[in-house]
Amino acid sequence: GLGYYGALDEFRILARSTDEHVAKSWTDSELLLGILKREKGDRLSSESQALTDFFIANEATPEIRQAHSDLQAAKRQQRAARGAIATTLVMQERKEPRSTFVLLRGVYDARGEEVKPAVPAVLAPTGVATRPDRLGLAQWLTSKDHPLTARVAVNRFWQICFGEGLVRTPNDFGTQGESPTHPELLDELAVRWMHSGWDMKQLLRWIVTSATYRQSSQGTDESLKKDPENRWLSRGPRFRLSAELVRDQALAVSGLWATKVGGPSVRPYQPEGVWEAVSYNAEDSYQPDRGEGLWRRSLYTYWKRQAPPPALQVFDAGTREKCLIKRPRTNTPLQALVLLNDPTYLTAASALASQSLSQFPTKGQRISAMFRQVLSRWPESIELQALSDLHDREIAILKNSPQLVQELTSATVTNATSAGATMTNSTTVPRPVGSTAVDLAAYTLVAHTIMNLDEAITRR
Amino acid sequence: MNRRFFLKDFGASVGSGVGGMALASLFAGRSQGVEHHVPKAKRIISLFMHGGPSQIDLLDYKPKLKEMHGQELPASVRGEQRLTGMTSSQASLPVTSSLFRFKQFGQSGTWMSELLPKTGSMADQLCVIRSMHTEAINHDPAVTLLQTGHQQPGRPSFGAWTSYGLGSDSEELPAFVVLISRGSAARPADPLYARLWGAGFLPTNHQGISLRSSGEPVLYLRNPSGVTEAMRRHQVDTLAQLNRRAADRELDPEIDTRIAQYEMAYRMQTSVPELTDLQNETAETLAAYGPQAQQPGTFAANCLLARRLAERGVRFIQLYHRGWDQHYNLPSDLRLQCGDIDQPCAALLSDLKQRGMLDETLVVWGGEFGRTTYSQGKLELTNYGRDHHGRCFSMWLAGGGIRPGVSYGETDDFSYNVVRDPVHVHDLNATLLHLMGMDHRRLTFRFQGRDYRLTDVAGQVVQPIVS
Repeated sequence: GLGYYGALDEFRILARSTDEHVAKSWTDSELLLGILKREKGDRLSSESQALTDFFIANEATPEIRQAHSDLQAAKRQQRAARGAIATTLVMQERKEPRSTFVLLRGVYDARGEEVKPAVPAVLAPTGVATRPDRLGLAQWLTSKDHPLTARVAVNRFWQICFGEGLVRTPNDFGTQGESPTHPELLDELAVRWMHSGWDMKQLLRWIVTSATYRQSSQGTDESLKKDPENRWLSRGPRFRLSAELVRDQALAVSGLWATKVGGPSVRPYQPEGVWEAVSYNAEDSYQPDRGEGLWRRSLYTYWKRQAPPPALQVFDAGTREKCLIKRPRTNTPLQALVLLNDPTYLTAASALASQSLSQFPTKGQRISAMFRQVLSRWPESIELQALSDLHDREIAILKNSPQLVQELTSATVTNATSAGATMTNSTTVPRPVGSTAVDLAAYTLVAHTIMNLDEAITRR
Repeated sequence: MNRRFFLKDFGASVGSGVGGMALASLFAGRSQGVEHHVPKAKRIISLFMHGGPSQIDLLDYKPKLKEMHGQELPASVRGEQRLTGMTSSQASLPVTSSLFRFKQFGQSGTWMSELLPKTGSMADQLCVIRSMHTEAINHDPAVTLLQTGHQQPGRPSFGAWTSYGLGSDSEELPAFVVLISRGSAARPADPLYARLWGAGFLPTNHQGISLRSSGEPVLYLRNPSGVTEAMRRHQVDTLAQLNRRAADRELDPEIDTRIAQYEMAYRMQTSVPELTDLQNETAETLAAYGPQAQQPGTFAANCLLARRLAERGVRFIQLYHRGWDQHYNLPSDLRLQCGDIDQPCAALLSDLKQRGMLDETLVVWGGEFGRTTYSQGKLELTNYGRDHHGRCFSMWLAGGGIRPGVSYGETDDFSYNVVRDPVHVHDLNATLLHLMGMDHRRLTFRFQGRDYRLTDVAGQVVQPIVS
């Protein structure tokens, strides 16, 4: 509603009606005549181009026209080829170092004393950076005498494996942070790692083949009383999977995981309206991919920081606006809602059920197989009984309701978010030979339940 | 005492039944259950007008501007303040009187613009602060400062602090709920960010849950099609049974929590739709909130929802109404914006009062900054715009221990500088926390070696407006 902003040039009144082509040809010819009147040297390149285009379109011979079109095609190809080359920005030292000043109270034009690059004196007992530039900084950081770099890194890897580092404030090794629970171990690993040539695989191998890591995570009354937070590593690690792994795990156990590596980001399932709610004019809309984009590792999920993927947020993924060294690990009803209602998990469950139905004939075998696939162990008889009872209860409802069966097993998994809108799953979950749709529906629910168990999303 | 011990002993009862306090405290996570002094308010309803509503045209009556209209803003008034990039290129800064008439409302004689007649009718409940000020000049830093106490993102929002400090009053709903509506002014509205109601470095369960206006109110709330409530109940029961077994075997208290959270999720599937189902609202109530009261996604509908959320024990209810950034076309656009909010605001106050809830509900209305005295763009007879202005702006508060029917603070004749009783954003937040029973200096969280609080290292409770 801002009205017309522009200028009027010519005003013609005609005795008869005409169409827009006529009006356009008037405009064009006026434009071109105007350009021609100018000296060649005075013309803008776009104006010369307009003349060329007009000539080619109207006056050129077929050969010229063909050649022109070929030239345009070749240029497009060249552009596309260039555009496909991934580029990145690099930094380069200036010939003349820039003068840098302390800014008083952070005000950009309130300069204090001039300063030069150096490393913090308190951290540089030996091997002060030989060159005051980034290479010097890198050499100093990775020097064998540096008290921090290797220890901080080793602590991070320990945190990946155990859920908590040897230093439980991984972002703070200073006086305000916590002391290491096993300082000699930390130092030893750090030194060994540096001498191995900073070999990450080797470091991880040392950690995961250690007796400490391979302990059972099962708590005993004694170990829980004396070591409630497992600081003394009296038992193996037990902690919830990270946000991305919760989803990746479902993809892996169901066989839906698309294992392609690399490439541009993809768009898995997401409820509607998440992007619209925060955008300027609801113009930003999220369209989930079809096909393999739905089933790639969560690492590849397109990330919009203004409204990050909610299913990952709920599992503490962080927004990526700030560097997050250690994610919180919460336990909320919203997580339950995602695992219960996100189409990703239901479809994964359906795929898992389908495989199980194809491979095994009896209910006990089918449930056990799905259980083992998700939890890496066979069910106890009580557990098998509970799941079998669940199957029976669900199938009693499903038998009388072809509509529900249809909805649960069709290739289209509908999330009843807004009326009529569906998130179509173009991955067809195959109906196993020799089983009915009712079977698939019932086993889908059992598989879905197994995938919702606490144990299914916990490393132990 | 470690929460884990608490939960371990509770393990047995949590699995089988649902105790109110246990569930509420589980939902709120590790809340402090803090109460530094007796609170006046049990909850806050924040009516946030995103974009910076123009105080000169709404709440800050400046009759002298009429004489100065069109004249250059005196340098003495402007002082050393830098202009924004948008107006620094202007050849002149013409003083712009409001096109709208002001009059006095209620027994308190509060001056308000003709654009807010219904709000004006509730003037005797309001405390109008005219001396708000902030150092931020653009939307994101300003809103972030108001919501989290710091211009740069990363810190918990007000609602997250409330959830952390007080926990939830509801067994079935989160402690902190956010409702968003778009304004009617035709221009695109400045963007919002999920972190404005985020938990920052507090545990994530303190973050605000935004109820969406289309589709399901809470994401992932509804069962996928093909799964009925009975079928879902069977699933949840089996999960509880199997998880219970794991808990007995592995002795990890997190498992007990998870059992409870599944139960809670199941209950939310009923309680949230019940919240948004307006069947038992009377026709009068619906009419009071205006013609849009039943249109989800509008401010009116959100105000009605806010009252319902308040009744159901939600502690911090935040409404964002977007589109107040009138750089251009202020007269027409402001009219549209006020049309959205005037009646619903009044209806909300009156509704709360009738239900006896206003005394324990703190209602806060305002934006992240104000607008300039001078016109941005060409000053025309019936059209003008105003740029951002942080040096003074206005807000109103009501209920929850606020002195009703008063005004606090004054600006100069140009509504450019505060001349009496300044209230910084930190002061406002300190006051709001105070009314909720918390000392803003003592509600802290240790992070990266420092005890952070909502008011950063500033803020003083504004005692004169506390009743």
